[in-house]
Amino acid sequence: MIKVFGVTKKYPARLAVDDVSFEVARGEIVGFLGPNGAGKTTTMRMLTGYLPMTSGRIEVAGYDICEDPQEVRRRIGYLPESCPLYPEMRVDEYLRFRAELKGVRLSARKAKINEVKEQCGLTDVGSRIIGQLSKGYRQRVGLADSLVHDPDLLILDEPTVGLDPYQIRQVRELIQQLAKRHTILLSTHILPEVEAICERILIINEGKIVASDTEANLHRRLHACAMIEMEIQAGKVVAMAAINTMEGLDVRTATELDDGWLRLEIEADSSDMRVELFNLAVTEGWPLRELSEQEYSLEDTFVQITRNPGAMQ
Amino acid sequence: MSTFLSLFKKEVRTCFLSPIAFVVMFFFWILTGGNFILLLYQMANGDSLTMATQWMFGGPLICFSLPVVIPLITMRLFAEERKLGTLEALLTTPVKVPELVLAKFFGALVFYSVLWLPVFAYAYFQSGMNPSATLAFPDVGALRAGAVGVMLVGALYIAVGLLMSSLTSNQIVAAIAGFAILFGSFLAGAYLAYTAPSASARTVGQFFSSSAHMLDFSRGVVDSRIVVLYLSFTAWFLFVSVKAVEAKRT
Repeated sequence: MIKVFGVTKKYPARLAVDDVSFEVARGEIVGFLGPNGAGKTTTMRMLTGYLPMTSGRIEVAGYDICEDPQEVRRRIGYLPESCPLYPEMRVDEYLRFRAELKGVRLSARKAKINEVKEQCGLTDVGSRIIGQLSKGYRQRVGLADSLVHDPDLLILDEPTVGLDPYQIRQVRELIQQLAKRHTILLSTHILPEVEAICERILIINEGKIVASDTEANLHRRLHACAMIEMEIQAGKVVAMAAINTMEGLDVRTATELDDGWLRLEIEADSSDMRVELFNLAVTEGWPLRELSEQEYSLEDTFVQITRNPGAMQ
Repeated sequence: MSTFLSLFKKEVRTCFLSPIAFVVMFFFWILTGGNFILLLYQMANGDSLTMATQWMFGGPLICFSLPVVIPLITMRLFAEERKLGTLEALLTTPVKVPELVLAKFFGALVFYSVLWLPVFAYAYFQSGMNPSATLAFPDVGALRAGAVGVMLVGALYIAVGLLMSSLTSNQIVAAIAGFAILFGSFLAGAYLAYTAPSASARTVGQFFSSSAHMLDFSRGVVDSRIVVLYLSFTAWFLFVSVKAVEAKRT
């Protein structure tokens, strides 16, 4: 659906996007992550044809963005970061105007507008003036606008920014519904959102793509060794010595807790050494109350990748 | 074509919905109304009736007000879209930039024509006040030519204001830049045409003074050279605006 070949964008004072290449297949939901100023919005604006690139090539739905910008734009539904709308227009008016611009046929226009209004929960506010709507409703109007011409590809730049938690959940559910029919490229700062929705994650940092994979693979590649947490009742020195002698296990920290238990953090070579540790506790006769493998959150992974660009190699 | 029409309709609607439109309309109508009253006084004092259309279209109140009024109409055209970010939303639809520029231009031109409607109403009322049967008033030919002049000058001024608006996201900057260019060229043209010491400078000035052109038009003289001059300058400014919108995307 999207093919990006070596795209670079230079601003007079800085390099915003540096030789970026990636692909998004039809039907995928891709989360586009990166710290502020990493080049997310610039990349998205180039994908929509709004910003010209300095060098490189972009293909959307088989059309080159420089040669057939009109064809590309017909197939893209784009929600810009700031969700720009005309405050003096009414919701219905605005959606009709946008549908006209996007070439939705007159015969289908009314039905299509009603459909997106229903999808986005706007049926009750059709005659309200946009400037008087709350931020959440405005965001929905922007989303409805990006859907009104039934695009193959949806590009959403931070669709949930500025919404309250309830509205975020609603937008997330909406995006999940949309994923059945559209290819979606979504940028956001809210990582649980990406964990909940996206099949694949693209991470951009300082203008370069530093990671592109599924969430599980990212964790696996980044954390080759697993971290196991264990709480037992045993002498610190004895327990550390016993565990360290085992193949592939290495005690990182050992803390004596106030209630007399010993908490150990153990690095394991392969992912699952918990059974061996359990057997050890049984043979040594240590009471055991916790034995778990640490779960990495996307947040950990994200921070690690963007702070330390070499992490993925 | 249908995209152009929806853009155009939206432009006209926004022109008439903006509060600044009503302020501009209020002051321009007071001005043209006052201008008409002054004309009536002059005629009551025995001035020639043949001066009437020239006063109505090319009087000093009108000539001095257009460089202020038109930038106030045009300042929001692109600056507001840039400020709101809606330009990004527009240019990521299949809309072409020339369509957008033309829609905004003609939208402003419609609003500008509405500003002039009362003046034509005055001319009609005046025909009923004509005391002497020997002079036909209003002179329909002069009125028509005056209307042509009003539209030509207005179109050029709007194109200049549109270009200024396409260069910035600040409406005030767009208005002041438009005012500076229009008023500056108006003064320079008037100076060259009427008070420059050398005769050749005055001839050149005649081609650049919009007040001189307005007086000619409202006398009923439609000089094709001047018509071509206005149309080509207008087209050039619109072309530059298209390029400015295409180039300046941030």
